[in-house]
Amino acid sequence: MTPYDRLDRHALVMAIWTPSGFVAATLLHKGLVSGGDWWIFAGFVAIIATFVAHVIANAVLKTGFTTGERALGIVAFAAALLSLLMAVLVGPAELGARIFLPVGLGLISLVVTVVAYLVIAFGARSAFEKFDVIRDNNLRPASRLPHRGGRR
Amino acid sequence: MTTLLLSLLILLALYAVYIAALVARREVRPADFLDAGQGIPGWAAMFLLPALAVAGLGVENHLGLVARFGLQASHLALGLVLVSMASVLVWNRMWYATRVAHLATPGEALGQFYGSVALRVVMLALAVLFALPFSANLLSSSAQLLERATEGMLPRAAGVWLLAISLAIPGIIGGWRATIATLAMEAILLALFLPGSTVLAEIFATTPGYPAAPIPVQEGVLWDRLPGVIQYSAGIGKEMPSIGIFTSVALSSSAVGLLGIVFSPATLYLGQTVRPGSSFGLSTVWLTGGLMAGVLILGAPLLATRMAEGPVAFAMQLYAAEPLAGVGFLMMVLVGTLLAVSFFVTGGAILFTRELVVRYLLPTLSERGQRFGARVAIGVAFFLVAFMASFLPLVSAILASVALPLAVQLLPAVLGLAFFRWISRGAVLAGMTLGMLIVFFTEPPGLILFEGLFVDLPWGRWPLTIHSAAWGLAFNLLLVLLSSAATLRAPDSFQRSRLYDAMFQATQVKVGGRGLLWALMLLWSFLTYGPGSILGNTFFSHPIFSPIEASLGVPSLWVWQVLFWMLGVVLVWWLAFKLGFGRTSEDRIKPIELAPATSSRPPDWLAAGLSRVTGRAH
Repeated sequence: MTPYDRLDRHALVMAIWTPSGFVAATLLHKGLVSGGDWWIFAGFVAIIATFVAHVIANAVLKTGFTTGERALGIVAFAAALLSLLMAVLVGPAELGARIFLPVGLGLISLVVTVVAYLVIAFGARSAFEKFDVIRDNNLRPASRLPHRGGRR
Repeated sequence: MTTLLLSLLILLALYAVYIAALVARREVRPADFLDAGQGIPGWAAMFLLPALAVAGLGVENHLGLVARFGLQASHLALGLVLVSMASVLVWNRMWYATRVAHLATPGEALGQFYGSVALRVVMLALAVLFALPFSANLLSSSAQLLERATEGMLPRAAGVWLLAISLAIPGIIGGWRATIATLAMEAILLALFLPGSTVLAEIFATTPGYPAAPIPVQEGVLWDRLPGVIQYSAGIGKEMPSIGIFTSVALSSSAVGLLGIVFSPATLYLGQTVRPGSSFGLSTVWLTGGLMAGVLILGAPLLATRMAEGPVAFAMQLYAAEPLAGVGFLMMVLVGTLLAVSFFVTGGAILFTRELVVRYLLPTLSERGQRFGARVAIGVAFFLVAFMASFLPLVSAILASVALPLAVQLLPAVLGLAFFRWISRGAVLAGMTLGMLIVFFTEPPGLILFEGLFVDLPWGRWPLTIHSAAWGLAFNLLLVLLSSAATLRAPDSFQRSRLYDAMFQATQVKVGGRGLLWALMLLWSFLTYGPGSILGNTFFSHPIFSPIEASLGVPSLWVWQVLFWMLGVVLVWWLAFKLGFGRTSEDRIKPIELAPATSSRPPDWLAAGLSRVTGRAH
């Protein structure tokens, strides 16, 4: 990829996430404030739809998620999970009871979407190997030989 | 609402600066600042075209017209399908002309193709017209909306300057590529918020809206039907038909007027600087003709019914239900105009630099010098726009009214470049001059000037409810046809034929089935915009083939509009993908060098004027 290709891809990803993020934020805010489960559901649908659009952009441009994007995604997910837990544990009891189920299900649906993407894109085995650090922790060159089980 | 709205506007400005800084840091050649190395990503152009088309209609303006005139005004949105057709044809051929003969700007393309400096000057004048008064008018209306939304906390003049600065900085830093990349994001924002606001408005509403209730228009206005084929009215300002102005001819001629967006120099330049691929087809078929036209046809009546008291009052209602929704609606209206301002000012300034400064004033300017010149031009252009919007809003509005119809008068010239080699230079110039004069005297600038200096004219704006663009274009085309018939064997046709043949070989356009397509298009146009469109008034409620009355629950005209919108998308798809105008490829291009036309040197009057400015002999 040329510098311009990387730049254009980055701009496209930003252009996809920025407006959709606002839409998702609107829906989630409405759901969290007024207590409508369907609003929260719609907010997570917006996030998943945007993720799908991002995957399509990757497929069209023949690229994958960058390290920064993966890191940002994980951090954002962790922050959302932590916020939910904090709201349930130290927030008002009414708030925790109201949002725990819809937001929890929403976060689970995000995980399911990412896992489904990984399985579809790489196959079950390759998708698992991306997280299989134990198999790849042997730094000796001999461990790379196929008959020793090395697949790096 | 003020804090949230201003915060979002600041975030939008920061986003633009971020993208611009990235582009500037990764710039390979300084000259890329001006044309992005003719490598604007396809996706950016894909999203931007529909937003520009909507900006041509004007989000606030269109919703206001629908609120005032009902479905007859909503019919205007079908003009986006015509815009799609014109865009896919024109962009395709301009793109190939750029690659085949190295004609890098619209002025250069038309100027060199016809061997006419006058055409370059016309293109430059149009670029300035779009960049200054047209954009100033949009900027002024945006600032006015901001003033109302902030309840006077941000006065109009302050809003104008703040908005202008926030748009200028990214353009100055990142140039053409950064501007387009940022505007593409704003276009997506518009495409999401327009239907989103409509849906949210219906969910939050406490009273029934359209179609359960009629659109609340003034007494006597036919809100659910077209008011005939033509109204024998002297024109707006002289006489106003009480049942509404959007007759069939008004709609068809307004659709022609909307084509001015396609023929504006900056839009043509965008088409020239895009990478090869299928972006033209995807943009015109699915996003402009499909998504945007559909959203406006289906959504505008619903939204307009809710916002009878104006966009700010409607935003307040949404804000009460969900703050982000209310602010998002206002952002959508603002973005719909601001992206056009940013696009036309930055594009116009870059074209000004390339067409005048680099071409004539400082032809030996280095690439770095060109970039610097473009940056200065962008800064000055935004200053002038802000100045006009602040201190000359009325003058801007009057001059802005002629921008689109004047740009439409380029149609014969572009058709000559793209398809009809028999259209000659003299014919184009004569037709354009006549067409532009007619536009001028059927729009406010000419009317005000003439009536102020001499006597009252018997006609007003858009006499017989026919848009000025169509008045001008009719006489323009007539003169072009007559003149071209007399100059079929003119000596200047040799270079035109060379380029035409080279473009024909390079394009992969299929010729089969064209007769059927044009026949279907004529039929579709007749029933969509032409006299046949009034059949839609009652076709689905009182069918002509049956004595039984149908009770659809929605006006017959709305169903007619939806039906012909969908059929129109099929026709655009045919043009773009079956015939191949939606795809571009460099594979079969054999570049040629057009010989310098006999009149490539500047005319004496221009050279003399320039030499006075630059102090150099030409």
